[in-house]
Amino acid sequence: MNDIQQDSGGQDSGTEGTAAMQPDAPIASTATAGDTASDQTAPPGDASESRREPTVGVHSDPSDCIELRRLHRFFGDTRAVNDVTFSVGRGQVFGYIGPNGAGKTTSMRILATLDLPSYGDAFVDGFSVVNDPELVRKRLGFMPDSFGTYRDVNCREYLDFFARAYGLVGRQRTRRLQWVLDFTGTSGMATKPIRGLSKGMKQRLCLGRALVHDPAVMILDEPAAGLDPRARIELRRMIRELADRGKTILISSHILTELAEMCDAVGIIEQGQLLATGSVDQIQSDTQNRSELTLRILNRHDEILTCLSGLDENLTIDNPILDGQFVRFGFSGNMTDQAAIVTHFVTQGFHVAEVNAHKKSLEDLFLQVTEGLVQ
Amino acid sequence: MTTVAPTIETEPASADSNWLAWLDRWCERVGDAINPILVKETRQSLKSRQFVVTFSMILFAALAWTIAGSLSLMPQIYTTPSAPRMMIGYYAVLALPMMMVVPLAAYRSLESEIDDGTLELLSITTLSPWQIVMGKLASASLQMLLYFVTLFPCLAYAYSLRGVDLPTTLLVVASLAVTGLLLTVIGLFFAPLARGRSGRVATMLVLIFLLVLAEYGISSMVVGMILYGNPLSPPELLFTVLATLALAAALGHLLLTATAAQLTPETENRSTSLRLSLLVLTTICVATMVAGLLVLGNRAIPVYIGGLVVIAGLWTFCGALMVGERSTITPRIRRELPSSFLARLFLTWLTPGPTTGLVFAITGITILASMQYASMDWVMRAADVSGAMRRQFQRVVGLPAVLFSAYLICFLVAVRAVMFVVRLRNNPRVEVGVAALVVVAVMAALVPYSMQLHYNDYQPLTYDPIWQVTNWVFTMGTAVDRGLPAGVTERIVGAAVCLSLLSCFAAWQTTRPRRIATPRRVQEELRRR
Repeated sequence: MNDIQQDSGGQDSGTEGTAAMQPDAPIASTATAGDTASDQTAPPGDASESRREPTVGVHSDPSDCIELRRLHRFFGDTRAVNDVTFSVGRGQVFGYIGPNGAGKTTSMRILATLDLPSYGDAFVDGFSVVNDPELVRKRLGFMPDSFGTYRDVNCREYLDFFARAYGLVGRQRTRRLQWVLDFTGTSGMATKPIRGLSKGMKQRLCLGRALVHDPAVMILDEPAAGLDPRARIELRRMIRELADRGKTILISSHILTELAEMCDAVGIIEQGQLLATGSVDQIQSDTQNRSELTLRILNRHDEILTCLSGLDENLTIDNPILDGQFVRFGFSGNMTDQAAIVTHFVTQGFHVAEVNAHKKSLEDLFLQVTEGLVQ
Repeated sequence: MTTVAPTIETEPASADSNWLAWLDRWCERVGDAINPILVKETRQSLKSRQFVVTFSMILFAALAWTIAGSLSLMPQIYTTPSAPRMMIGYYAVLALPMMMVVPLAAYRSLESEIDDGTLELLSITTLSPWQIVMGKLASASLQMLLYFVTLFPCLAYAYSLRGVDLPTTLLVVASLAVTGLLLTVIGLFFAPLARGRSGRVATMLVLIFLLVLAEYGISSMVVGMILYGNPLSPPELLFTVLATLALAAALGHLLLTATAAQLTPETENRSTSLRLSLLVLTTICVATMVAGLLVLGNRAIPVYIGGLVVIAGLWTFCGALMVGERSTITPRIRRELPSSFLARLFLTWLTPGPTTGLVFAITGITILASMQYASMDWVMRAADVSGAMRRQFQRVVGLPAVLFSAYLICFLVAVRAVMFVVRLRNNPRVEVGVAALVVVAVMAALVPYSMQLHYNDYQPLTYDPIWQVTNWVFTMGTAVDRGLPAGVTERIVGAAVCLSLLSCFAAWQTTRPRRIATPRRVQEELRRR
């Protein structure tokens, strides 16, 4: 007389007897989220949601390799991660940015199965970090921001140990070790003790350790912290190469210019909350539509600011700065409005020699999105 | 002109090289099969300063004692049995690394994994916490084996000097090995308990104290055995060896399970294996105590009473932990819940949770008390003990045991109530829970103490009040010995029975959580592993 309730904790759409996948169901109502939380408490204000019937915990989109679903992590009264939801597609590089203490490392540690959410769940390749951590670990390579090493162990022995710990045997292990040593450029120091390595070499070794079992997903927490420019460039090359090999990468860094070059999408987190997510362009279009323009005008310099004030009020020109032949100002509008501004100057008899529209960098975007909340 | 393609002369593989290649492949296969922690720790240990220093010191000390001891025994060494003195010297050389250095190194090894953050890197591999702990134990055992092999020629030399027979020599070695392993397990158990700098220092000091105490106790016993011979007859010796091995294995398993549980995430089931291990240990304890009475007769009575005190303490401590567990059952645990009616009826009490913990503890205590009472009665009937003597023994040992069991059940119900209140706040600090438990424990100790004073007209006590206050078994034993007024025992047992029935009734709801299906993809993945 077996009595097995179907589902409520499963995360596979193919589960026999489970309810059909409900991609439109409110994500807060998943059993995996509510029931698996370490303290089993719904976040304040979510009591009604937590009582709802569970749905099957599976990706809403099977192409997503990483998914955070209403993730919360509380430390006493501190909300380190507060209702964070996003997903990363297979083969994408996702930049996770935010000021110190924003909750990046906590979310990454939860994804790496090193910590448990207070509420919500996270999935790697469809497997819950709460319910099936051992299956997640097989698919995941994690490079923490700081990591310990062993005494009296050289680089090869270190990697060999982790290869064994991931269950690699025989020639498979030997081949993999050699590949990792070659890829990370540590072949030359395979027999050197780890304790004597430089910071950059240790970072390479740590990346090698995370790669040793050929995971599909990599989580890199501040991999470039403390590295010199050359080492950073090398690391960037390696990460890009890994992405080209089809690995899904979640990376956090404070060096936003580097992330902008590497990432297909970014998520901006502050005070535990995800403020924006998507590609840089997407975030830019989602956030306030402000642009900056610099014009080089060859004549009538003393009349330029007067001319600017004569523009359509809807464009809300701000912070005009006149510097010799150059005038720089911000305005709210799109490319058509930009063309209208230039046309306005030309029709007024100004000789416009150059037009420079400034595309916002990730740093600008970060400051804009986190404005008012930083500090 | 014809060109001849160069040919590479290949030597036919010799039998030797084939044999070596086979050995190489075999070694590699063995290396792949054994615990990775053992491989890593062995590599590390063999290069570590601690190992080099210890090994060198053992060699030097053994050599020094061989020369100095032999010279001091000259010229009688040729004519009279001289093994005891030499054997004691070699034992001292071997006991220090096996009972102090290796357990401390095992403690440091696991503690530094936690401290340096390497345990986190390990825990995201496919190694289970049990494998990690067993790897550390295996590595420590290997070190012990190495030290023992190093000193084996010296022990053989001492044996050849006559004066210590082979069974005694084997006993010395066995006691050293068993104690060393058990102390290593204790060292590993202590490692995850250490939190923060002060916690690490405190844990280390407690461990060192325990190791010194154990070394002193075991060494005294071994030295006595070497000097004065083995006082046990062959059947008694066999019983002692088997009982020691069984108890050491059961205790070691419980401690290793507890260590692994400390490294396991809280979403997983950490309770069932601990409960089973505790039950097995105490059953072996009771069986050993009863068998001891049969084999050793009156000489086993102090051991019997001591065993009862240990079991009582163990169930008090473990019972309090069981009823203080979280009441949450995670989906991961729900996947493993018993599914059939009978399995739910009998095995639910092994699943995690405070209610199941309380019922398990009550059942376990009742079964153990009944086993102890029945077996003691059976032993005395089998030994044809007179009725008056039997009644005396029941009054001195049986009644306090029943009284204590009843009182322990009341205590656990009180702890359950306190922890329920503490856990009403979602995230109580650990310190709050511990403080609540300490208050309950002090109150629980003061109640029998007060009763004892009350029924004896507040007469001054004849033994250490601190020992009496903290030890309920002792207090209750004394109270029974001095004669409790009629009805007190019945009232305590009656209260325990009522509370047990109430707990079982209240726990009925815990059989309701149903097993949930493991997703097919997860099942496939797990099958593939």
